[in-house]
Amino acid sequence: MKGLFGNGKVIAALVVPGIAVMVFSLVVPIGFSVYYGLTDWAGFGKFHMIGLANYRDIITADPVFWRALMNALILMVVTICIQNPAAFALAAVLSHLSSRFSRALRTVYFVPAVLSLVVITKLWVSIFNPTYGILNKLLHVIGFTGVNISWLSNPHTALGSVLWIILWQGFGWALLFYYTGLMTVPKEIEEAARVDGAGWFQAYSRIIIPFMFPVISAVLVIDVISSLRQMEMIFLSTEGGPGFLTQFVSVYLYQKAFVAGAYGYGNALSVLFVVVAVGLTLVVQQVLRRNDDAQ
Amino acid sequence: MKKLFIVALALCIASGLWAQTTTLKMADPHPDRTNGWGAVIEQINAEFKAANPGVEIVTESYPDQPFQQKIKIYATAKQLPDVFKYWSFSTLLKPLVDGGFVMELNKADFAKYGYVPGSLESNVWGGKLYGIPVSADFWVIYYNKKLFKDAGATVPTTVEDLMGLAPKFKAKGIIPIVTDGKDAWPLSITYDVLCERVNGDFSRQQAALDRKAKFTDPDFVEGARQYVKFIQSGLFADDLMVSDYGASRNLFGQGKAAMYIMGPWEMGLATDSNFSDEFRANVDAFKFPVLKNGKGKADDLEAWFGGNYVISSASKYRDLDLKYLKYYAQRFPGLAWEKGAAFPAQKVTARDSDTPVAKTLLKILADAKTTSGTTTIDRSTPQFKEDHQNFIRELSSALITPEEFCKKIEASADKASKQN
Repeated sequence: MKGLFGNGKVIAALVVPGIAVMVFSLVVPIGFSVYYGLTDWAGFGKFHMIGLANYRDIITADPVFWRALMNALILMVVTICIQNPAAFALAAVLSHLSSRFSRALRTVYFVPAVLSLVVITKLWVSIFNPTYGILNKLLHVIGFTGVNISWLSNPHTALGSVLWIILWQGFGWALLFYYTGLMTVPKEIEEAARVDGAGWFQAYSRIIIPFMFPVISAVLVIDVISSLRQMEMIFLSTEGGPGFLTQFVSVYLYQKAFVAGAYGYGNALSVLFVVVAVGLTLVVQQVLRRNDDAQ
Repeated sequence: MKKLFIVALALCIASGLWAQTTTLKMADPHPDRTNGWGAVIEQINAEFKAANPGVEIVTESYPDQPFQQKIKIYATAKQLPDVFKYWSFSTLLKPLVDGGFVMELNKADFAKYGYVPGSLESNVWGGKLYGIPVSADFWVIYYNKKLFKDAGATVPTTVEDLMGLAPKFKAKGIIPIVTDGKDAWPLSITYDVLCERVNGDFSRQQAALDRKAKFTDPDFVEGARQYVKFIQSGLFADDLMVSDYGASRNLFGQGKAAMYIMGPWEMGLATDSNFSDEFRANVDAFKFPVLKNGKGKADDLEAWFGGNYVISSASKYRDLDLKYLKYYAQRFPGLAWEKGAAFPAQKVTARDSDTPVAKTLLKILADAKTTSGTTTIDRSTPQFKEDHQNFIRELSSALITPEEFCKKIEASADKASKQN
C-alpha cells in the first residue's frame, strides 16, 4: 500500500481529476471573467480592450456597487447578531424538551428551509402586498386602521422586509446546525458543571458554547458567504428596488451583464465580487481561528 | 436467416429515413397558448406543419422581460432559436444585427403583405431588412365601462380630470389605474407621453439623445414634475413599484381596477376567456389625456412598431425559416384581428363583429395627427434604457426629485452618445 502511494503516477491519477474539475469549474471561469472585465463587450458582437476602465468606474463612480456591498454587510451583521443568537437560544430550549415535542417543533421550524425559495418569496411578496396582503390587514384588525404600508416598495421598509424574508428562510438551517451541535455536547460535562455549582448561564458561556465553537465557526462562515451571494430572493421580490435600496451584488452584476448589455462591466463586477468574498471569508476564518486558538 | 436480417435492417433504416423530421426551434414572449397572440401563433404553426409534412415546431415562451434576457443569453451562448419574435429597437435588434446573429431579409419578399407605411423600415439597419414587423403599438388607457358607470365617472380628456377620478374609485374600493410598474418601461413611456403633453413635440426626445437639446431643459423637467403629480395623485395602488405585468393585467381583468395603461397588444382582453363575460363586454380604451396648460394634443399619439420576427443567421434551415416567415406574414394580420389578439402592423379590414375596444383602437390610430416613433428608452443604448428605467423607479418612489431625475437622464444620454 505504501509503495502504491509512493508511486507518482498513482498519485497523479488520483489527484489530477480533482484538480481538473477545480480548474474547469473555478479557475477557467474566473479567468474568462478577468479577461472580459477588461473589455467593453456587450455579450455578443465585437468588443475592445479598455484596460482597467470598468474597474475604475465601479470603484470610483458606481454608487450602486457600494450600496449592494453595504446591503450584504448589513445582512451579514443582522444574520450574525440576530438570527444566530435566536437560533441558538431556541435550539438550547429544544434540546431540553421531550424528544417527541422537540422533533415536532424542529420540523415546524425547518419547513421554510425545505420549501423552494420561489415559493417562499412569492408567499412573502403576497403577505407584504399593500392592496391584498395579510400583514396590512392584520395591522388593521389590531387597531392600526390608517396604516397601509407598501412594505417592499416603501424606501423606509423595503430593506427591512427583504432582510426579514432572508432571515426567516435561513432560520431553520441555523437552528438545525445548533441543535445538532448541542446534541454532541456530552451530558456528563454539563452535569459536572452543575454539580460544581454552575448556573445555566455559566454552563453555556463557559462550557457549552466553547465546546460548540467549531459548529459556530462553520455557521458564521456559511452566513458570510450566503449574505454575499444573495440573488434569487431579491430578483424575485424587489429586483433591487425601490431605486437601489435593496440591491445586492449578484443581482446587480446579472442586471448589468444581461439586461443592460454591459457584459464586460458585469464581468468586472464579478471579479471584484470574488475578491471581496474571498477576502472577507479569509478574514472571518482568521478571526475565528485566533479565537479557537485562544480557547 | 442472414438475408432476412439484412432486409429487416434495411427496412428499419429506410423507415427511419422516411420518418425523419425537421424540427424548427422557435421562441416568443406569449406563454398563454390558448388565448390571444399565443393562440394565433399556435394556429399558424399547426397550419404550417400541415402544409409541410415532416416539419415539427418546438416553441419556448416566457413573459417579455425574462424572454429578452433569455434571448441575450442564447445569443451569448450561440444557441439562438431558428425563428423568434423580438423587437425592432436599437436596444434589442441592433446588437443582434451588429453581432451578425440575425439573417438579412429581402424587402421585396414581404412588400406584398400590406404592411403599414414605415413599419418595415423600422426593421432596417444599415439599409438592410432584418425582421418583419408584426404589431403597431401605441399608448392608451383601457377602462372598464361598468366600473366607470358605477362610480359615476366619465372618460377624462385632461390629466387633471383623470387625477380627479381617483377618489371616486377609491370610495368604491376599486384601484383607479394599474400598470406594470415593476418592469418600469411602462413608466418610462408614460413619462415620454407627459413630456409631449407639456411641449407638444415628439421630436424633443430624439433631439436630446442627439445632443441637440438637453434632458435638463425646462420642458423635460416640467414633464418629470407632471409625472410625479400623476404617480402621487392616488390613481395608482401603493404596490405600483412591485406590481408586475401579469399582476396588473389580472387586477384589471378581474374588475379590481378601473383602468389599465398599456398598448394595443392587450386588445385581447376583450376576448380573454380567463376573465368574466361582464368584464369582456365592458372593456374599452381612450386616448391618453392632455394637460390643461400643455401644448400636446389628444391626437398626438405615442406610437411605434415594436414587435417583429427574425431568423437566426446560424439556423440550419434558413429556407424553411423564410418560408415560415412568409406564411406568418400572410396569416397573422387576419387571424390576429379576427381573434382580437393584437393590432397588426399590416392593413386590416374593420368588421361589424369587431369588439368595441378593437373599434376604438382603430379610431385612435386613425385620428392620430402626429406619432412619436420608437419610445425614448429604445432609441439609444441598452445601458441608457436600463438607466432610464432605474431613474424612473427612483422618481416614482420619491427617492429623487424631478430635477435630479433629469440630471441623471442627461448624464446617461451624454455617456450613451459617446458610445454610439
